[in-house]
Amino acid sequence: MRRGQWLRRWRLGVSLIPLSLGVAAALLWQAGLFPNPVLTLRLRADVGTLLLVLGTMLTLLGLPAAVVAVTAARRRDRDLEAAHSACTDDRRCFLQRLDHELKNPLTALRAGLANLASLPGGRERDAVHTSIEAQVLRVNRLVSDLRKLVELEQRPAERVPVDIGELLAEATQLAHDVPGREATLNLPQAPWPLPPVLGDRDLLALACYNLLENACKFTRPGDAIEVRAFEDGQSVVIEVADTGPGIPTEDLPHVFDELYRGENARTIEGSGLGLALVRAVARHHNGAVSIRSRTGHGTAVTMRLPLA
Amino acid sequence: MEQSQTPSRILLVDDEKAIIDNLASFLERAGFAIAVALDGEAALDQVARLTPDLLVLDVLMPKMNGREVVRRLRQQDNWTPIILLTRVGQSTERAMALEEGADDYLNKPFDPYELVARIRAVLRRRAEAPRQMPLAMATRVRAGDIVLDRTARRVEQVGKPVELTARAVALLEYLLLHAQEVLTRERLLDAVWGWDYPVATRAVDARVAELRRALGDDPDAPRLIETVVGQGYRFVATVEIA
Repeated sequence: MRRGQWLRRWRLGVSLIPLSLGVAAALLWQAGLFPNPVLTLRLRADVGTLLLVLGTMLTLLGLPAAVVAVTAARRRDRDLEAAHSACTDDRRCFLQRLDHELKNPLTALRAGLANLASLPGGRERDAVHTSIEAQVLRVNRLVSDLRKLVELEQRPAERVPVDIGELLAEATQLAHDVPGREATLNLPQAPWPLPPVLGDRDLLALACYNLLENACKFTRPGDAIEVRAFEDGQSVVIEVADTGPGIPTEDLPHVFDELYRGENARTIEGSGLGLALVRAVARHHNGAVSIRSRTGHGTAVTMRLPLA
Repeated sequence: MEQSQTPSRILLVDDEKAIIDNLASFLERAGFAIAVALDGEAALDQVARLTPDLLVLDVLMPKMNGREVVRRLRQQDNWTPIILLTRVGQSTERAMALEEGADDYLNKPFDPYELVARIRAVLRRRAEAPRQMPLAMATRVRAGDIVLDRTARRVEQVGKPVELTARAVALLEYLLLHAQEVLTRERLLDAVWGWDYPVATRAVDARVAELRRALGDDPDAPRLIETVVGQGYRFVATVEIA
């Protein structure tokens, strides 16, 4: 990129060389300082003027070519920029490259599996096919989550009034679909109902959903899940708490990191990006997330979103 | 339907051999005649030689990328339908998409059956208005008393501006450009949001509700956006270049 810009400037510079030489020669001639006495004798015409004309012509020929080249290069750069968007930090660059490197093999794998499905085969082959397909879809999900994470940090968030209570109610509803999980939702009425938060409804819904999904995943049938929200004058505070097995102290500082899996989480399916997404959404709204947990007792995740 | 007529000819362009091999045989099995090209320059040659019915085109390729291929074709007034393998989520990409005028976009890695569905939809849409500038290239489109200015990202109804969120405008744009087609929530999510998380379909419903409210469209007697129960949404009004 930087090299490309330098090259472009260099090309523009080169096309100006004949003109500058011409000007220099003309000045030298005017000043009577032209160094070649033989030329002075042989040419009747004003050699300096001649050189100036020659230089100008070359420049006029060279400039359009340089402009065309620069325009083409700009267009190329713009395409590349769109492909890689702004790679402003190493981590994001890495995630973007990973997404890029994985999507082609995944596209080929999915097409290959679809071909395989249409070939004649027995029950055994079908079982293998199903198993491979499940794994391919799992990697697919990971890639799509990585992409969400990268895009989320880049996309300008909408700022419209969002009813957090409504989002929490939707997300809580989901917990009821998980066998053995009962989630209760507690929203304030006094002294006044929860005020709306200015933000991006889709992103906030994603965060609420991930919080609930996490609580369902890391609890056992019969555990309690409590969802509550209140306003403390500065922020709307959302808390999702459970009586699950809890998270070991040494894992706690890392649970919001991408792809981090604690000791207890290894056997549980997931992309390892759920809480990382929650944190990204919170930061996108100038908010924050925190977690408290005690092994054997339970976990509470708190998200704060500043009031407008 | 394809069996009774001569099969539609698709030119598949991607620099990844594994994708070409697997997709070509999959699409052939789906009833299309397939030609392939491994880079943009080869694609342009093939288009000139074979005049395919549709192009499936990757973006990042050596020699000449997919975007440049679309641009060159459109500059020559070649309106061959194109499905570009990329995503148009962000505003910069959206602006480029408008300039390019591809007919549809699909994000890698995609479900191959989804590609077949989109090829069929694009071919059907274009069969109704062959050899005309496609809607996808129009800066302004109109449906009844609604006008969408795609460059300014503005919507007007009976000449008055309608206030909408950016994502609602993007959703309306996709609905308008794919009028009469049943669009599943998943597809709208992929095309407009670029996401697919389990409850996200609710996000689509919320934006459709926003559009209906802002444009005064009654869901029980829709002039614009119809709910297709168990399937998704369909834009029912006639859309034309404004």
